[in-house]
Amino acid sequence: MEPTDVIDATESESEPVADADDLVEEELLVEEISIDGMCGVY
Amino acid sequence: MLSFDADQPYRLHDRVALRPEPFGALAYHYDNRRLNFLRAPELVALVESLGSHDSVRHAYDASGIDARRWPSFEKALASLAASDFLVAT
Repeated sequence: MEPTDVIDATESESEPVADADDLVEEELLVEEISIDGMCGVY
Repeated sequence: MLSFDADQPYRLHDRVALRPEPFGALAYHYDNRRLNFLRAPELVALVESLGSHDSVRHAYDASGIDARRWPSFEKALASLAASDFLVAT
């Protein structure tokens, strides 16, 4: 029988957890729109 | 496309007009006819102040914007520079 890899579930538990205060959601601060082709709209 | 360098001074392009809006401002470039929504009043203030600082980082420092938000602002400024709304001085 071929050896199988065993995933140690405890590994992920030992990873550092970021402090909630350090987590800042990335903000979408700029949005570019094209107005080409709108000349006939107005 | 030139890369954005926050250690360099930038300013708003002479041919860009900002119109204040409740969400921030509309920015229109009269040369390339591009339109950008600036979605935060802090970003508008930062963009307007860039010309009076010798680097973007100094403008960040003076803005009072939480440093944890700087990456988002830098991304926004890089996007504006790529669209020629900001020019290196």
